[in-house]
Amino acid sequence: MMKKIKMIRLELDRSIYSDEAVQKAAYRFIDRFAAIVSRADNSIVVEITFGTESSNQREHVVADFKKELLDQNLRLRIKTETEAVRNLILAYAFSKSGLQE
Amino acid sequence: MTEKFLPVQDYLPDSGTYELLPFKFEPVGADEVILTNLTGEFLYLKREKLDSLVSHRLAPSDADYRALRARHFIRQPNDRATLDLLALKTRTRLSRLANFTNLHLFVVTLRCDHACHYCQVSRQSEDRQSFDMSEETADRALDLVFRSPNPAIKIEFQGGEPLLNFPLVRYVVEKAEQRNRVERRDLQFVVATTLSMVTDEILEFCRVHGIHISTSLDGPEDLHNRNRPRPGRDSHRKFTDGLKKARDVLGYDAVSAVMTTSPASLPRAREIVDEYIEHGFDSIFLRPLSPYGFAIKTKSYQAYDAGSWLEFYRAGMDYIIDLNKRGVRFVEHYSSVILKKMLTNDDPMFVDLMSPCGAGISAVVFNYDGDVYASDESRMLNEMGDATFKLGNVHSDSYRDIFASDALLSVLEDSFASSAPMCSDCAFEPWCGADPVFHHATQGDILGRKPESEFCKRMMGMIRYLLDVMRADPQAKSIFMTWVNS
Ligand code: SF4
Repeated sequence: MMKKIKMIRLELDRSIYSDEAVQKAAYRFIDRFAAIVSRADNSIVVEITFGTESSNQREHVVADFKKELLDQNLRLRIKTETEAVRNLILAYAFSKSGLQE
Repeated sequence: MTEKFLPVQDYLPDSGTYELLPFKFEPVGADEVILTNLTGEFLYLKREKLDSLVSHRLAPSDADYRALRARHFIRQPNDRATLDLLALKTRTRLSRLANFTNLHLFVVTLRCDHACHYCQVSRQSEDRQSFDMSEETADRALDLVFRSPNPAIKIEFQGGEPLLNFPLVRYVVEKAEQRNRVERRDLQFVVATTLSMVTDEILEFCRVHGIHISTSLDGPEDLHNRNRPRPGRDSHRKFTDGLKKARDVLGYDAVSAVMTTSPASLPRAREIVDEYIEHGFDSIFLRPLSPYGFAIKTKSYQAYDAGSWLEFYRAGMDYIIDLNKRGVRFVEHYSSVILKKMLTNDDPMFVDLMSPCGAGISAVVFNYDGDVYASDESRMLNEMGDATFKLGNVHSDSYRDIFASDALLSVLEDSFASSAPMCSDCAFEPWCGADPVFHHATQGDILGRKPESEFCKRMMGMIRYLLDVMRADPQAKSIFMTWVNS
Protein backbone atom coordinates (compact mmCIF):
# COMPACT_ATOMS: atom_id res chain seq x y z
CA MET A 1 0.00 0.00 0.00
CA MET A 2 1.25 3.52 -0.80
CA LYS A 3 1.89 5.64 2.28
CA LYS A 4 0.32 9.10 2.23
CA ILE A 5 2.58 12.07 1.58
CA LYS A 6 2.73 14.05 4.77
CA MET A 7 3.06 17.83 5.18
CA ILE A 8 4.09 19.71 8.29
CA ARG A 9 3.92 23.46 8.68
CA LEU A 10 6.15 25.40 11.08
CA GLU A 11 5.64 29.06 11.88
CA LEU A 12 8.72 30.75 13.28
CA ASP A 13 8.87 34.12 15.01
CA ARG A 14 10.95 36.51 12.92
CA SER A 15 12.11 38.41 15.95
CA ILE A 16 13.93 35.22 16.98
CA TYR A 17 14.83 33.41 13.73
CA SER A 18 16.55 35.07 10.80
CA ASP A 19 15.82 34.16 7.18
CA GLU A 20 19.40 33.04 6.73
CA ALA A 21 19.34 30.71 9.71
CA VAL A 22 16.09 29.09 8.57
CA GLN A 23 17.37 28.64 5.04
CA LYS A 24 20.65 27.13 6.19
CA ALA A 25 18.86 24.73 8.49
CA ALA A 26 16.49 23.68 5.69
CA TYR A 27 19.47 23.13 3.36
CA ARG A 28 21.08 20.76 5.84
CA PHE A 29 17.92 18.67 5.72
CA ILE A 30 17.46 18.38 1.95
CA ASP A 31 18.30 14.70 2.16
CA ARG A 32 15.47 14.14 4.63
CA PHE A 33 12.57 16.30 3.40
CA ALA A 34 11.54 18.93 0.88
CA ALA A 35 10.93 22.37 2.39
CA ILE A 36 9.45 25.58 1.13
CA VAL A 37 10.34 28.68 3.12
CA SER A 38 8.16 31.79 2.88
CA ARG A 39 7.30 34.89 4.89
CA ALA A 40 4.01 35.83 6.48
CA ASP A 41 3.76 39.03 8.54
CA ASN A 42 5.95 38.50 11.56
CA SER A 43 6.82 34.92 10.91
CA ILE A 44 8.81 32.69 8.64
CA VAL A 45 6.81 29.73 7.42
CA VAL A 46 8.46 26.39 6.67
CA GLU A 47 6.33 23.87 4.81
CA ILE A 48 7.85 20.45 5.07
CA THR A 49 6.92 17.57 2.79
CA PHE A 50 7.98 14.05 3.69
CA GLY A 51 8.22 11.00 1.49
CA THR A 52 7.43 7.56 2.81
CA GLU A 53 8.74 7.89 6.37
CA SER A 54 6.71 6.55 9.29
CA SER A 55 5.14 9.06 11.65
CA ASN A 56 7.74 8.12 14.25
CA GLN A 57 10.58 8.90 11.87
CA ARG A 58 8.91 12.15 10.87
CA GLU A 59 8.67 13.25 14.48
CA HIS A 60 12.33 12.55 15.02
CA VAL A 61 13.37 14.46 11.94
CA VAL A 62 11.22 17.47 12.87
CA ALA A 63 12.63 17.45 16.40
CA ASP A 64 16.16 17.41 14.95
CA PHE A 65 15.23 20.17 12.55
CA LYS A 66 14.04 22.37 15.41
CA LYS A 67 17.37 21.89 17.18
CA GLU A 68 19.14 22.72 13.96
CA LEU A 69 17.16 25.96 13.69
CA LEU A 70 18.42 27.04 17.10
CA ASP A 71 21.97 26.01 16.21
CA GLN A 72 21.86 28.00 13.00
CA ASN A 73 20.68 31.03 14.93
CA LEU A 74 23.63 30.64 17.25
CA ARG A 75 26.04 30.09 14.35
CA LEU A 76 24.85 33.32 12.82
CA ARG A 77 25.46 35.22 16.05
CA ILE A 78 28.99 33.86 16.18
CA LYS A 79 29.56 34.66 12.53
CA THR A 80 28.30 38.22 12.88
CA GLU A 81 30.48 38.88 15.90
CA THR A 82 33.61 37.33 14.41
CA GLU A 83 33.33 38.26 10.73
CA ALA A 84 35.57 41.33 10.93
CA VAL A 85 38.29 39.52 12.83
CA ARG A 86 38.04 36.54 10.46
CA ASN A 87 38.63 38.82 7.48
CA LEU A 88 41.54 40.42 9.27
CA ILE A 89 43.16 37.03 9.94
CA LEU A 90 42.67 35.94 6.34
CA ALA A 91 44.04 39.25 5.06
CA TYR A 92 47.20 38.79 7.19
CA ALA A 93 47.51 35.19 6.06
CA PHE A 94 47.20 36.03 2.38
CA SER A 95 49.39 39.12 2.48
CA LYS A 96 52.24 37.19 4.06
CA SER A 97 52.09 34.51 1.39
CA GLY A 98 51.95 37.04 -1.40
CA LEU A 99 48.71 35.51 -2.63
CA GLN A 100 46.81 38.76 -2.42
CA GLU A 101 48.64 40.54 -5.23
CA MET B 1 45.10 17.83 21.15
CA THR B 2 48.67 18.87 21.76
CA GLU B 3 49.11 22.31 23.17
CA LYS B 4 52.15 23.57 21.39
CA PHE B 5 52.78 26.64 23.48
CA LEU B 6 50.76 29.28 25.21
CA PRO B 7 51.10 32.84 23.98
CA VAL B 8 52.61 35.42 26.35
CA GLN B 9 49.29 37.17 26.91
CA ASP B 10 47.96 33.97 28.36
CA TYR B 11 49.93 34.76 31.48
CA LEU B 12 48.76 38.35 31.73
CA PRO B 13 46.06 39.24 34.21
CA ASP B 14 42.61 38.71 32.78
CA SER B 15 40.26 41.64 32.45
CA GLY B 16 37.25 39.31 32.38
CA THR B 17 36.01 40.68 29.08
CA TYR B 18 36.68 38.75 25.93
CA GLU B 19 36.02 38.76 22.21
CA LEU B 20 34.98 35.71 20.24
CA LEU B 21 37.39 34.49 17.58
CA PRO B 22 35.95 32.77 14.50
CA PHE B 23 34.80 29.23 15.29
CA LYS B 24 32.20 26.70 14.23
CA PHE B 25 30.41 23.99 16.17
CA GLU B 26 28.56 20.72 15.68
CA PRO B 27 26.46 18.86 18.22
CA VAL B 28 27.93 15.69 19.69
CA GLY B 29 25.45 13.68 21.71
CA ALA B 30 22.50 15.31 23.40
CA ASP B 31 24.07 18.02 25.51
CA GLU B 32 27.50 18.71 24.09
CA VAL B 33 29.09 20.42 21.11
CA ILE B 34 32.49 20.30 19.50
CA LEU B 35 34.10 23.60 18.52
CA THR B 36 36.73 24.06 15.81
CA ASN B 37 38.58 27.19 14.79
CA LEU B 38 40.12 28.33 11.50
CA THR B 39 43.23 26.26 12.01
CA GLY B 40 41.54 23.03 13.04
CA GLU B 41 42.09 23.24 16.82
CA PHE B 42 39.16 21.77 18.70
CA LEU B 43 37.43 21.61 22.03
CA TYR B 44 34.32 20.01 23.58
CA LEU B 45 31.83 22.13 25.50
CA LYS B 46 28.57 21.54 27.30
CA ARG B 47 25.62 23.16 25.52
CA GLU B 48 24.93 25.58 28.33
CA LYS B 49 28.57 26.69 28.30
CA LEU B 50 28.31 27.41 24.58
CA ASP B 51 25.36 29.71 25.29
CA SER B 52 27.28 31.47 28.08
CA LEU B 53 30.32 31.77 25.83
CA VAL B 54 28.42 33.39 22.96
CA SER B 55 26.54 35.66 25.37
CA HIS B 56 29.87 36.80 26.92
CA ARG B 57 28.91 35.44 30.30
CA LEU B 58 31.74 32.97 30.76
CA ALA B 59 33.85 33.83 33.80
CA PRO B 60 37.68 33.75 33.70
CA SER B 61 37.53 31.40 36.67
CA ASP B 62 35.62 28.86 34.59
CA ALA B 63 37.66 25.77 33.75
CA ASP B 64 36.67 26.02 30.08
CA TYR B 65 37.63 29.66 29.84
CA ARG B 66 41.34 28.99 30.00
CA ALA B 67 41.13 26.21 27.43
CA LEU B 68 39.12 28.40 25.09
CA ARG B 69 41.73 31.10 25.37
CA ALA B 70 44.69 28.78 24.98
CA ARG B 71 43.22 27.22 21.86
CA HIS B 72 42.28 30.53 20.28
CA PHE B 73 38.51 30.55 20.53
CA ILE B 74 38.46 33.82 22.50
CA ARG B 75 40.90 36.66 23.00
CA GLN B 76 41.33 39.66 25.22
CA PRO B 77 40.30 42.89 23.52
CA ASN B 78 43.18 44.35 21.50
CA ASP B 79 45.28 41.24 21.83
CA ARG B 80 46.95 41.40 18.44
CA ALA B 81 49.41 38.55 19.03
CA THR B 82 46.64 35.93 18.90
CA LEU B 83 45.49 37.22 15.52
CA ASP B 84 49.06 37.06 14.21
CA LEU B 85 49.40 33.50 15.40
CA LEU B 86 46.11 32.45 13.79
CA ALA B 87 47.13 34.20 10.56
CA LEU B 88 50.43 32.38 10.56
CA LYS B 89 48.79 29.01 11.08
CA THR B 90 46.17 29.75 8.43
CA ARG B 91 48.90 30.73 6.05
CA THR B 92 50.67 27.43 6.57
CA ARG B 93 47.44 25.66 5.68
CA LEU B 94 46.84 27.73 2.56
CA SER B 95 50.39 27.32 1.39
CA ARG B 96 49.68 23.80 0.21
CA LEU B 97 47.36 25.25 -2.41
CA ALA B 98 49.91 27.83 -3.47
CA ASN B 99 52.75 25.36 -3.43
CA PHE B 100 51.89 23.49 -6.55
CA THR B 101 51.75 19.70 -6.43
CA ASN B 102 54.99 17.82 -6.84
CA LEU B 103 53.34 14.63 -8.09
CA HIS B 104 53.48 13.93 -11.82
CA LEU B 105 51.74 10.84 -13.12
CA PHE B 106 52.83 9.34 -16.44
CA VAL B 107 50.27 6.96 -17.92
CA VAL B 108 52.76 5.05 -20.05
CA THR B 109 50.19 2.60 -21.43
CA LEU B 110 46.54 1.72 -21.07
CA ARG B 111 47.27 -1.93 -21.83
CA CYS B 112 46.95 -4.39 -18.96
CA ASP B 113 47.08 -8.13 -18.33
CA HIS B 114 44.33 -7.84 -15.72
CA ALA B 115 40.64 -7.16 -16.30
CA CYS B 116 39.57 -5.74 -12.94
CA HIS B 117 35.86 -4.92 -12.78
CA TYR B 118 36.36 -1.57 -11.15
CA CYS B 119 39.27 -0.44 -13.27
CA GLN B 120 38.41 2.66 -15.19
CA VAL B 121 40.90 2.70 -17.97
CA SER B 122 42.67 -0.53 -18.84
CA ARG B 123 42.55 -2.15 -22.27
CA GLN B 124 43.09 -5.80 -23.12
CA SER B 125 44.73 -5.03 -26.41
CA GLU B 126 47.92 -5.84 -28.22
CA ASP B 127 47.73 -2.57 -30.07
CA ARG B 128 50.86 -0.75 -28.89
CA GLN B 129 50.43 2.11 -31.32
CA SER B 130 47.08 3.20 -29.99
CA PHE B 131 47.50 2.84 -26.23
CA ASP B 132 51.20 3.39 -25.43
CA MET B 133 52.83 6.74 -24.69
CA SER B 134 55.46 7.68 -27.27
CA GLU B 135 58.93 9.08 -26.57
CA GLU B 136 57.91 12.33 -28.18
CA THR B 137 54.94 12.71 -25.83
CA ALA B 138 57.15 11.81 -22.85
CA ASP B 139 59.69 14.49 -23.85
CA ARG B 140 57.01 17.16 -23.99
CA ALA B 141 55.60 16.02 -20.65
CA LEU B 142 59.07 16.18 -19.08
CA ASP B 143 59.45 19.75 -20.34
CA LEU B 144 56.36 20.61 -18.32
CA VAL B 145 57.46 18.63 -15.27
CA PHE B 146 60.63 20.67 -14.97
CA ARG B 147 58.70 23.92 -15.34
CA SER B 148 57.08 23.14 -11.97
CA PRO B 149 58.36 25.54 -9.29
CA ASN B 150 58.41 22.80 -6.68
CA PRO B 151 61.91 21.80 -5.51
CA ALA B 152 60.71 18.21 -5.14
CA ILE B 153 59.55 16.22 -8.14
CA LYS B 154 57.95 12.82 -7.91
CA ILE B 155 57.26 10.96 -11.14
CA GLU B 156 54.87 8.03 -10.85
CA PHE B 157 54.39 5.59 -13.72
CA GLN B 158 50.89 4.27 -14.09
CA GLY B 159 48.80 2.28 -16.51
CA GLY B 160 47.20 0.01 -17.44
CA GLU B 161 50.20 -2.02 -16.45
CA PRO B 162 53.26 0.20 -16.86
CA LEU B 163 55.58 -2.81 -17.07
CA LEU B 164 54.01 -3.53 -20.50
CA ASN B 165 55.72 -0.38 -21.75
CA PHE B 166 58.86 -0.57 -19.61
CA PRO B 167 61.14 0.74 -22.40
CA LEU B 168 59.36 4.07 -22.04
CA VAL B 169 59.74 3.99 -18.24
CA ARG B 170 63.48 3.54 -18.76
CA TYR B 171 63.50 6.34 -21.27
CA VAL B 172 61.72 8.81 -18.95
CA VAL B 173 63.87 7.89 -15.94
CA GLU B 174 67.12 8.33 -17.86
CA LYS B 175 66.01 11.58 -19.48
CA ALA B 176 64.75 13.02 -16.20
CA GLU B 177 68.01 12.12 -14.46
CA GLN B 178 69.97 13.70 -17.26
CA ARG B 179 68.06 16.97 -16.90
CA ASN B 180 68.31 16.82 -13.17
CA ARG B 181 72.08 17.05 -13.30
CA VAL B 182 71.49 20.71 -14.06
CA GLU B 183 68.14 21.20 -12.29
CA ARG B 184 69.19 19.52 -9.04
CA ARG B 185 65.67 18.85 -7.76
CA ASP B 186 64.78 16.22 -5.22
CA LEU B 187 63.77 13.67 -7.86
CA GLN B 188 61.88 10.45 -7.02
CA PHE B 189 60.34 7.70 -9.12
CA VAL B 190 57.53 5.25 -8.37
CA VAL B 191 56.13 2.48 -10.54
CA ALA B 192 52.52 1.45 -9.79
CA THR B 193 52.34 -2.19 -10.81
CA THR B 194 50.57 -5.44 -9.91
CA LEU B 195 54.04 -7.08 -10.13
CA SER B 196 52.59 -9.88 -12.27
CA MET B 197 55.07 -9.22 -15.06
CA VAL B 198 58.09 -8.14 -13.08
CA THR B 199 61.46 -9.53 -14.22
CA ASP B 200 64.96 -9.53 -12.74
CA GLU B 201 66.04 -7.10 -15.39
CA ILE B 202 63.27 -4.61 -14.53
CA LEU B 203 64.07 -4.88 -10.82
CA GLU B 204 67.75 -4.35 -11.45
CA PHE B 205 66.95 -1.16 -13.33
CA CYS B 206 64.72 -0.04 -10.42
CA ARG B 207 67.52 -0.75 -7.94
CA VAL B 208 70.14 1.19 -9.88
CA HIS B 209 67.83 4.20 -10.21
CA GLY B 210 66.26 4.10 -6.74
CA ILE B 211 62.75 3.52 -8.10
CA HIS B 212 60.05 2.61 -5.59
CA ILE B 213 57.27 0.14 -6.29
CA SER B 214 53.65 0.73 -5.38
CA THR B 215 51.74 -2.49 -5.80
CA SER B 216 48.18 -3.73 -5.21
CA LEU B 217 46.94 -6.15 -2.60
CA ASP B 218 43.20 -6.45 -2.06
CA GLY B 219 43.11 -9.11 0.62
CA PRO B 220 43.21 -12.91 1.03
CA GLU B 221 43.83 -14.97 -2.09
CA ASP B 222 40.20 -15.67 -3.05
CA LEU B 223 39.19 -12.03 -2.63
CA HIS B 224 42.24 -10.67 -4.44
CA ASN B 225 41.75 -13.04 -7.38
CA ARG B 226 38.07 -12.25 -7.53
CA ASN B 227 38.78 -8.51 -7.65
CA ARG B 228 41.62 -8.89 -10.10
CA PRO B 229 40.79 -11.43 -12.79
CA ARG B 230 43.54 -12.33 -15.22
CA PRO B 231 44.17 -15.34 -17.44
CA GLY B 232 45.11 -18.25 -15.15
CA ARG B 233 43.29 -16.69 -12.13
CA ASP B 234 46.64 -16.40 -10.42
CA SER B 235 46.90 -12.71 -9.62
CA HIS B 236 47.55 -13.31 -5.91
CA ARG B 237 50.27 -15.89 -6.50
CA LYS B 238 51.96 -13.63 -9.02
CA PHE B 239 51.77 -10.81 -6.51
CA THR B 240 53.33 -12.94 -3.76
CA ASP B 241 56.18 -14.08 -6.00
CA GLY B 242 56.72 -10.57 -7.37
CA LEU B 243 56.71 -9.05 -3.90
CA LYS B 244 59.40 -11.40 -2.65
CA LYS B 245 61.58 -10.78 -5.67
CA ALA B 246 61.11 -7.02 -5.47
CA ARG B 247 61.97 -6.92 -1.78
CA ASP B 248 65.01 -9.11 -2.30
CA VAL B 249 66.40 -6.72 -4.89
CA LEU B 250 65.11 -3.30 -3.76
CA GLY B 251 64.88 -3.73 0.00
CA TYR B 252 61.85 -4.02 2.21
CA ASP B 253 60.89 -0.36 2.39
CA ALA B 254 60.97 0.27 -1.34
CA VAL B 255 57.72 -1.62 -1.88
CA SER B 256 54.32 -0.43 -0.67
CA ALA B 257 50.80 -1.62 -1.42
CA VAL B 258 47.35 -0.11 -1.98
CA MET B 259 44.01 -1.86 -1.77
CA THR B 260 40.66 -1.35 -3.44
CA THR B 261 37.47 -2.01 -1.52
CA SER B 262 35.11 -3.98 -3.73
CA PRO B 263 31.63 -4.94 -2.55
CA ALA B 264 33.06 -8.39 -1.76
CA SER B 265 35.65 -6.79 0.56
CA LEU B 266 33.10 -5.16 2.84
CA PRO B 267 32.53 -7.96 5.37
CA ARG B 268 36.24 -8.87 5.45
CA ALA B 269 38.09 -5.91 6.96
CA ARG B 270 39.99 -7.97 9.56
CA GLU B 271 41.09 -10.60 7.08
CA ILE B 272 42.34 -7.89 4.73
CA VAL B 273 44.40 -6.30 7.51
CA ASP B 274 45.73 -9.74 8.49
CA GLU B 275 46.77 -10.34 4.89
CA TYR B 276 48.76 -7.10 4.91
CA ILE B 277 50.47 -8.07 8.13
CA GLU B 278 51.23 -11.54 6.85
CA HIS B 279 53.01 -10.00 3.90
CA GLY B 280 55.04 -7.77 6.19
CA PHE B 281 53.36 -4.42 5.49
CA ASP B 282 53.07 -1.97 8.37
CA SER B 283 50.26 0.14 6.94
CA ILE B 284 47.12 0.04 4.82
CA PHE B 285 44.93 2.56 3.04
CA LEU B 286 41.28 1.58 3.45
CA ARG B 287 40.34 3.16 0.16
CA PRO B 288 36.73 3.39 -1.04
CA LEU B 289 35.94 2.74 -4.70
CA SER B 290 35.99 5.85 -6.81
CA PRO B 291 32.80 6.68 -8.66
CA TYR B 292 34.44 6.99 -12.03
CA GLY B 293 34.68 5.10 -15.24
CA PHE B 294 33.91 1.44 -15.10
CA ALA B 295 33.12 1.69 -11.43
CA ILE B 296 30.01 3.60 -12.48
CA LYS B 297 29.46 1.68 -15.68
CA THR B 298 29.46 -1.69 -13.97
CA LYS B 299 27.41 -0.37 -11.06
CA SER B 300 30.06 -1.57 -8.64
CA TYR B 301 30.15 1.88 -7.09
CA GLN B 302 26.44 1.85 -6.37
CA ALA B 303 26.93 -1.61 -4.96
CA TYR B 304 27.75 0.03 -1.66
CA ASP B 305 27.01 3.39 -0.12
CA ALA B 306 28.93 5.50 2.38
CA GLY B 307 27.16 3.73 5.24
CA SER B 308 28.36 0.26 4.25
CA TRP B 309 31.87 1.54 3.57
CA LEU B 310 31.91 3.21 7.01
CA GLU B 311 30.99 -0.07 8.66
CA PHE B 312 33.93 -1.66 6.88
CA TYR B 313 36.20 1.23 7.86
CA ARG B 314 35.20 1.10 11.53
CA ALA B 315 35.63 -2.67 11.70
CA GLY B 316 39.09 -2.31 10.13
CA MET B 317 40.06 0.54 12.44
CA ASP B 318 38.84 -1.17 15.61
CA TYR B 319 41.01 -4.11 14.68
CA ILE B 320 44.03 -1.97 13.75
CA ILE B 321 43.84 -0.09 17.06
CA ASP B 322 43.64 -3.39 18.87
CA LEU B 323 46.71 -4.68 17.03
CA ASN B 324 48.66 -1.54 17.92
CA LYS B 325 47.72 -2.01 21.56
CA ARG B 326 49.13 -5.50 21.37
CA GLY B 327 52.42 -4.09 20.13
CA VAL B 328 52.01 -4.48 16.35
CA ARG B 329 52.70 -1.07 14.84
CA PHE B 330 50.29 -0.72 11.92
CA VAL B 331 49.00 2.54 10.40
CA GLU B 332 45.81 3.34 8.46
CA HIS B 333 46.62 6.12 6.00
CA TYR B 334 43.19 7.62 5.33
CA SER B 335 42.72 8.25 9.06
CA SER B 336 46.27 9.53 9.32
CA VAL B 337 45.61 12.30 6.83
CA ILE B 338 42.62 13.53 8.84
CA LEU B 339 44.35 13.04 12.19
CA LYS B 340 47.29 15.11 10.99
CA LYS B 341 44.95 18.01 10.40
CA MET B 342 43.31 17.47 13.80
CA LEU B 343 46.36 16.93 15.93
CA THR B 344 49.19 18.91 14.37
CA ASN B 345 49.73 22.33 12.91
CA ASP B 346 51.05 21.12 9.65
CA ASP B 347 48.76 19.89 6.98
CA PRO B 348 50.37 17.27 4.78
CA MET B 349 52.40 19.69 2.66
CA PHE B 350 51.36 18.28 -0.65
CA VAL B 351 48.08 16.63 -1.40
CA ASP B 352 48.99 13.41 -3.12
CA LEU B 353 46.81 10.49 -4.06
CA MET B 354 47.02 9.16 -0.55
CA SER B 355 44.85 12.07 0.42
CA PRO B 356 41.42 11.56 -1.03
CA CYS B 357 40.01 14.38 1.02
CA GLY B 358 42.35 16.72 -0.83
CA ALA B 359 41.19 19.39 -3.16
CA GLY B 360 41.10 17.25 -6.29
CA ILE B 361 44.19 19.03 -7.53
CA SER B 362 46.16 16.12 -6.35
CA ALA B 363 48.52 15.58 -9.24
CA VAL B 364 49.38 16.50 -12.77
CA VAL B 365 48.51 13.56 -14.99
CA PHE B 366 50.05 13.04 -18.42
CA ASN B 367 47.92 10.57 -20.29
CA TYR B 368 49.40 8.17 -22.88
CA ASP B 369 48.12 10.42 -25.68
CA GLY B 370 49.53 13.64 -24.23
CA ASP B 371 46.34 14.90 -22.60
CA VAL B 372 46.95 16.64 -19.27
CA TYR B 373 44.62 16.39 -16.26
CA ALA B 374 44.57 17.88 -12.76
CA SER B 375 44.10 14.52 -11.08
CA ASP B 376 43.81 10.85 -11.86
CA GLU B 377 40.06 11.05 -11.26
CA SER B 378 39.78 13.74 -13.94
CA ARG B 379 41.46 11.43 -16.41
CA MET B 380 38.99 8.66 -15.57
CA LEU B 381 36.09 11.03 -16.00
CA ASN B 382 37.43 11.92 -19.42
CA GLU B 383 37.44 8.22 -20.31
CA MET B 384 33.68 8.34 -19.77
CA GLY B 385 33.40 11.18 -22.24
CA ASP B 386 33.43 14.08 -19.77
CA ALA B 387 36.32 16.44 -20.52
CA THR B 388 35.48 19.05 -17.86
CA PHE B 389 38.76 18.64 -16.03
CA LYS B 390 41.06 18.20 -19.00
CA LEU B 391 43.67 20.95 -18.90
CA GLY B 392 45.12 20.59 -22.38
CA ASN B 393 47.54 18.49 -24.42
CA VAL B 394 51.35 18.51 -24.33
CA HIS B 395 51.52 18.68 -28.13
CA SER B 396 49.26 21.62 -28.70
CA ASP B 397 49.30 23.71 -25.51
CA SER B 398 51.97 25.71 -23.70
CA TYR B 399 52.78 25.59 -19.98
CA ARG B 400 50.73 28.75 -19.50
CA ASP B 401 47.78 27.41 -21.50
CA ILE B 402 47.71 24.32 -19.32
CA PHE B 403 48.38 25.64 -15.84
CA ALA B 404 46.49 28.89 -16.18
CA SER B 405 43.58 27.20 -17.94
CA ASP B 406 40.02 27.89 -16.88
CA ALA B 407 39.56 24.21 -16.11
CA LEU B 408 42.29 24.37 -13.46
CA LEU B 409 41.62 27.82 -12.07
CA SER B 410 37.90 27.36 -11.65
CA VAL B 411 38.43 24.04 -9.89
CA LEU B 412 41.01 25.63 -7.60
CA GLU B 413 38.65 28.43 -6.76
CA ASP B 414 35.71 26.11 -6.19
CA SER B 415 37.75 23.79 -4.08
CA PHE B 416 37.73 26.20 -1.16
CA ALA B 417 35.30 24.11 0.81
CA SER B 418 34.98 26.92 3.28
CA SER B 419 32.71 28.74 0.85
CA ALA B 420 30.50 25.78 -0.12
CA PRO B 421 26.95 25.62 1.25
CA MET B 422 26.83 23.55 4.44
CA CYS B 423 30.64 23.24 4.53
CA SER B 424 30.82 26.97 5.28
CA ASP B 425 29.24 26.38 8.67
CA CYS B 426 30.38 22.82 9.28
CA ALA B 427 32.77 22.41 12.21
CA PHE B 428 34.54 19.56 10.44
CA GLU B 429 35.51 21.71 7.46
CA PRO B 430 39.08 22.47 8.65
CA TRP B 431 39.74 18.71 8.57
CA CYS B 432 37.77 17.94 5.47
CA GLY B 433 38.26 18.68 1.77
CA ALA B 434 36.34 19.51 -1.33
CA ASP B 435 36.75 16.86 -4.02
CA PRO B 436 35.18 18.84 -6.86
CA VAL B 437 35.75 16.03 -9.36
CA PHE B 438 33.77 13.60 -7.19
CA HIS B 439 30.85 15.98 -6.87
CA HIS B 440 30.90 16.84 -10.52
CA ALA B 441 30.87 13.12 -11.37
CA THR B 442 28.13 12.14 -8.96
CA GLN B 443 25.96 15.26 -8.79
CA GLY B 444 26.88 17.29 -11.86
CA ASP B 445 27.95 20.16 -9.63
CA ILE B 446 31.49 21.02 -8.55
CA LEU B 447 30.55 22.25 -5.09
CA GLY B 448 28.13 19.41 -4.50
CA ARG B 449 24.96 19.25 -2.44
CA LYS B 450 26.64 18.10 0.75
CA PRO B 451 23.63 16.79 2.67
CA GLU B 452 23.12 14.29 -0.15
CA SER B 453 26.78 13.67 -0.88
CA GLU B 454 28.37 10.29 -0.22
CA PHE B 455 31.69 12.07 0.17
CA CYS B 456 30.28 14.24 2.96
CA LYS B 457 28.68 11.25 4.70
CA ARG B 458 31.97 9.39 4.55
CA MET B 459 33.96 12.32 5.92
CA MET B 460 31.47 13.00 8.72
CA GLY B 461 31.42 9.32 9.63
CA MET B 462 35.20 9.05 9.74
CA ILE B 463 35.67 12.27 11.67
CA ARG B 464 33.04 11.36 14.27
CA TYR B 465 34.56 7.91 14.64
CA LEU B 466 38.06 9.31 15.18
CA LEU B 467 36.81 11.91 17.66
CA ASP B 468 34.84 9.31 19.63
CA VAL B 469 37.77 6.93 19.79
CA MET B 470 40.18 9.63 20.98
CA ARG B 471 37.78 10.72 23.65
CA ALA B 472 36.89 7.32 24.98
CA ASP B 473 40.29 5.69 24.71
CA PRO B 474 43.42 7.63 25.73
CA GLN B 475 45.61 4.72 24.67
CA ALA B 476 44.18 4.85 21.15
CA LYS B 477 44.81 8.59 21.12
CA SER B 478 48.47 8.06 22.00
CA ILE B 479 48.68 5.55 19.16
CA PHE B 480 47.23 8.14 16.77
CA MET B 481 49.80 10.66 18.02
CA THR B 482 52.58 8.30 16.98
CA TRP B 483 50.99 7.96 13.53
CA VAL B 484 50.88 11.69 12.88
CA ASN B 485 54.29 12.44 14.28
CA SER B 486 56.17 9.85 12.28
S1 SF4 C 1 31.90 17.87 3.01
FE1 SF4 C 1 30.51 17.53 4.74
S2 SF4 C 1 31.89 17.02 6.46
FE2 SF4 C 1 33.13 17.98 4.85
S3 SF4 C 1 33.11 20.17 5.41
FE3 SF4 C 1 31.46 19.86 3.94
S4 SF4 C 1 29.67 19.57 5.25
FE4 SF4 C 1 31.47 19.21 6.55
